[in-house]
Amino acid sequence: MSEPTQSRRVHQSSLIRVWLGGIVIGLFFLIAVFAPWIAPHDPLKQDLFSGLMAPFWLDNHDPAFLLGTDSLGRDVLSRLIYGTQVALIVAFIAASLAALLGTVLGLLAGYYGGWLDTVVSRLVEIWMAFPPVLLSIVLVAVIGTGLHSVVIAIVIIDWTRFCRVVRAETLVQREQEYISSAVSIGFERWTILWREILPNVLPLLVTLLTLEMGIAVIVEAILSFVGLSVSSDQATWGGLIQEGRQYVHSAWWVMSLPMICIIIAVLAFNALGDGLRAILDPVMRR
Amino acid sequence: MQIRIIAAALALFIGFGQAQADSHDDVLTIAYNVNLPSWDPTVGLSAVNPTIQSIYKSVFDQYVDQNPDLTFKNGLLTGWGWNEDRTKIWLEVRDGAFWHDGSQVTAADVVWSLERAGNPDTGNPIQFIWSTVGNFAVDGNRITADVLRFEPTIFKWMAFLTAYVLPKDYYESVGAEGFEKAPVGSGPYMVDQFERNSFVRLKRFDKYWGPQPEFETVIFKFVPDANSRVAEIESGSSDITIEIPYEQYDRLSEKDGLQGRNTPVSDIAMIFLNDVGVMEDANVRKALAHAIDKEAIVERLLRGYGVPIDTLQAPQYSAFDESIAVETNPEKSKELLAASGYSTENPVRFKIQTTRGFKPKDYEIIQAIVGMWRNVGAEAEIEVYEIAKHFELRAQDTLAPAAFYNWGNAIGDPSTSTGFAMFGPSPHSTWDTDDLDAMIGPLWGEPDEDKRIDGYKTVDRYIAENAYVIPLLQFVQPIVHRDGIEVTPHVANFVLPQLVKKTN
Amino acid sequence: MSFPFLLRRLVLVIPTLIGVSIIVFVLLRVVPGDPIMMMIPPGATEDDIDHLRQLYGLDKPILEQYFDWFSEVLKGDFGTSISLRQDVVELILSRLPATIELAVAAMFISVILGTLLALIGTFWSNRWPEIIVDGFTGLNQAIPDFLWGLIFILVLGVLWPLLPVSGRIDPRISLDLVSQFYIAESLIRGEFSVFLTLIKHMIMPAIALALPLTAVISRSLKASLRETMTQDYIRMAQIKGFGPWRILIVEALRNAMIPTVALSGVQFNFLLGGTVLIERIFSYPGIGNMSIGAVIDRDLPLIQGLIITFAILFIITNLVIDMSYRTLNPRVRNE
Repeated sequence: MSEPTQSRRVHQSSLIRVWLGGIVIGLFFLIAVFAPWIAPHDPLKQDLFSGLMAPFWLDNHDPAFLLGTDSLGRDVLSRLIYGTQVALIVAFIAASLAALLGTVLGLLAGYYGGWLDTVVSRLVEIWMAFPPVLLSIVLVAVIGTGLHSVVIAIVIIDWTRFCRVVRAETLVQREQEYISSAVSIGFERWTILWREILPNVLPLLVTLLTLEMGIAVIVEAILSFVGLSVSSDQATWGGLIQEGRQYVHSAWWVMSLPMICIIIAVLAFNALGDGLRAILDPVMRR
Repeated sequence: MQIRIIAAALALFIGFGQAQADSHDDVLTIAYNVNLPSWDPTVGLSAVNPTIQSIYKSVFDQYVDQNPDLTFKNGLLTGWGWNEDRTKIWLEVRDGAFWHDGSQVTAADVVWSLERAGNPDTGNPIQFIWSTVGNFAVDGNRITADVLRFEPTIFKWMAFLTAYVLPKDYYESVGAEGFEKAPVGSGPYMVDQFERNSFVRLKRFDKYWGPQPEFETVIFKFVPDANSRVAEIESGSSDITIEIPYEQYDRLSEKDGLQGRNTPVSDIAMIFLNDVGVMEDANVRKALAHAIDKEAIVERLLRGYGVPIDTLQAPQYSAFDESIAVETNPEKSKELLAASGYSTENPVRFKIQTTRGFKPKDYEIIQAIVGMWRNVGAEAEIEVYEIAKHFELRAQDTLAPAAFYNWGNAIGDPSTSTGFAMFGPSPHSTWDTDDLDAMIGPLWGEPDEDKRIDGYKTVDRYIAENAYVIPLLQFVQPIVHRDGIEVTPHVANFVLPQLVKKTN
Repeated sequence: MSFPFLLRRLVLVIPTLIGVSIIVFVLLRVVPGDPIMMMIPPGATEDDIDHLRQLYGLDKPILEQYFDWFSEVLKGDFGTSISLRQDVVELILSRLPATIELAVAAMFISVILGTLLALIGTFWSNRWPEIIVDGFTGLNQAIPDFLWGLIFILVLGVLWPLLPVSGRIDPRISLDLVSQFYIAESLIRGEFSVFLTLIKHMIMPAIALALPLTAVISRSLKASLRETMTQDYIRMAQIKGFGPWRILIVEALRNAMIPTVALSGVQFNFLLGGTVLIERIFSYPGIGNMSIGAVIDRDLPLIQGLIITFAILFIITNLVIDMSYRTLNPRVRNE
């Protein structure tokens, strides 16, 4: 087999990934946005007298509750649908904020160099030394539970991922010819950063951002698992796993369904991210 | 083919290890729900943690002991009492009790332990009780002491938290750190090996003064995760386990080779109300109390394992009064809330704090209650906290308007339930108002026992009528054990290895 | 790799550690709760509280508190645990070997398994084994270690109880080992039965911990193997008539390994972090399990000590990985 066909194959499989990942995430997105209309029940509506009902594939199920109910008699399907909202909110907001913080620091450090670069690089190095799971647990224990603390914890821990890559990429771009020509024409430094370097770093950034969203979904699940995520009786995938564990022997689906949701969402984010990386990466594109 | 070889090798390897571990049948393994933080049962927060008392009670002796039904019996003391005018107490120390290092338990040890407990510098959390007696005098096995401040429950406390006798000479020679490394008590078991966060292995103490326990070796395995404890008992790695979800309890009890025991224990689920914000409105408080269907919670959520209660006294406690009842009546709740201008469209809003996984179904109970409140026009925001955080907030009196807690009271006295929980000046109280303090205050020093108990019943009625606190239910302790042993449940929520018998 | 280079790297560790200590300190001092409230016995008076505050130096300005604390840390004194009332360093050192053994076992498993998968995927490139390998890796990257832990306990601990679900060793066995490195010591002493129980207890947590890293390693190694296989010297070897496995393992793997080794440094930190949940789920007595307990009890001195311990572990491993990277890769060796 010759070289070009090989590379076209890679390109094609990447496209498939992007499409698949994009469609799945798009679906999740639609579910999250239209949750109030899709969900057959109020996710918080309890009925202690109809707890732990069976899902549709078992004999004694109630057609009103497609995936059965949890121990408080809440509709599992509706809770999964509303859990999608939380998962996506955490994924998008936390990942974007982490990207923003990391990118700004990375761009500045990479472009200006000097003491700024030293400080940022040191900071990243220090940050990398912290055990991420423990740090997130400690952070949420310190700030208090809630959606905002989950987001803060993810941003505080994961900005380094962006910073490292963006800084390295900026360093490379800075040395490129078109930048020196831009400088010689007399562009302002900020303009160069904004107009020339950022667009070139962008493909990489988009890839990282997508992957980070998958990570955010997992972090939320971890924090819920330790009992520190979004509190109140709001439905989250991680929270559903933790609740479902208690009756995994009598109603295994209550724990397994949110697990599957998490895995699918992370798979989709990863596929999208990997595909984008392959397509957008100029080296691989060649 | 390769796969088959690997499978065979794996089976051989696993089978080998199995056979080698099964050859001990004089060993009792208990999959336990909490880690043992410290070996000194008299100082620090762990000393007042009811859950780890089982381990302490296996290794150490208390001044006074309790039967599984909470009646009192002799511990290291064989007699105790006040003098006529209650200005002095006397204690009779047991003859023929020995420390694990072989030396004899003496009156000096008892006096030293009591004096140490009463000394604020040692950090005994119950120091305020122990410091009510002093000026000890020893005559043979008899100890007398002055009553510095009259405390009617002092002898009940001698069977309760931090009431352990430690060896004076040994402790003084090894110091606090040395004692942690090699603890010495006078109980039925002595410490053989302690692996922090993992297990403690105990060996039967041959010179124990009481009946010899049946098992020579006892292992408390620390398994904080409830599902892992289920796996422990189900796989046969442990012989007994406790504090597992009730669904699992029902399932395991039905299983061949396993048995279940369940007893109501002296742990009470309650919601502290704080005298702040919306809770100052009596209508709101009463509405919240009437809206909760405790029966449904017990029947549905706890699968029947629980006893609904309306005061802070469980039926086994001395001041229990069944005539005090708070009815479940959501319609009345709506009326009460309407009187204060609230409705389901315009609900009263406040925050409720709860632990999660500290007691079976604690978080689910609160979720269910919040659901019931939502139906009558109250919107509570749930905040999850750790139990340590609860203590911290309670000590600062900064708990949320409503806060879920589990109140243990192994001695069943009203002063250690209603008294501590509801009396304003008490550091444990959350509801602090003068009307209540005026009622409870005089009961602290009431020498007439009947009057004291009746007084608390009156207080409990007053509290129920005004909804100053919302008692929920008495917990039931689920114990699962393997066939071939008999476990005696203890109302104080202990699993004592010395009470476990072999049946075959 | 030269000695001055090693020295330079070691010197660079110091500012990192100071930075870690500052962040840990700042982070925990913004705790909204007052650490003192945790220590007071119920019924303590204002005087008692002030007394304790002074005792722990919490009445001083924050900067002074930091320098006091840090100068003690430099002496190897992290203070006394509030909940366990023992020396923090002693507590951590007693549990650290358990975590190191677990992490090393997991690292070992993921390297072996990851390499194996990458080789299989490359050897049968574009055929069904590669599809399986790719599928497994992709799926594995989406399943976090603690979910694996839960699944293992359910399947291998309960439904088909082959392996012990909790602890590090069967507590019925009397151990007379001197160190806390049980696996290493039992192996050295030739106590085979003890070694076996230890391994049995470790299989599930170690594999759960190893699987996500396995995916990363196999993926990265496969990518670089693919690239290496197109290099001229491999073509030369093919022309020389070497067998395909020999080419893959002897010729290609060595060079293809370099980027993977570089990557595994960062990844090791995730593995170390994973011990926190995995040890909790399997009741494995290491510092990860201790960490959750410390957070639950808000045991500040212990949390501080534990985070710094994790950071030191990470820095040391990265140093080692960096060294081996340099040894492997002739291009950076002389920089």
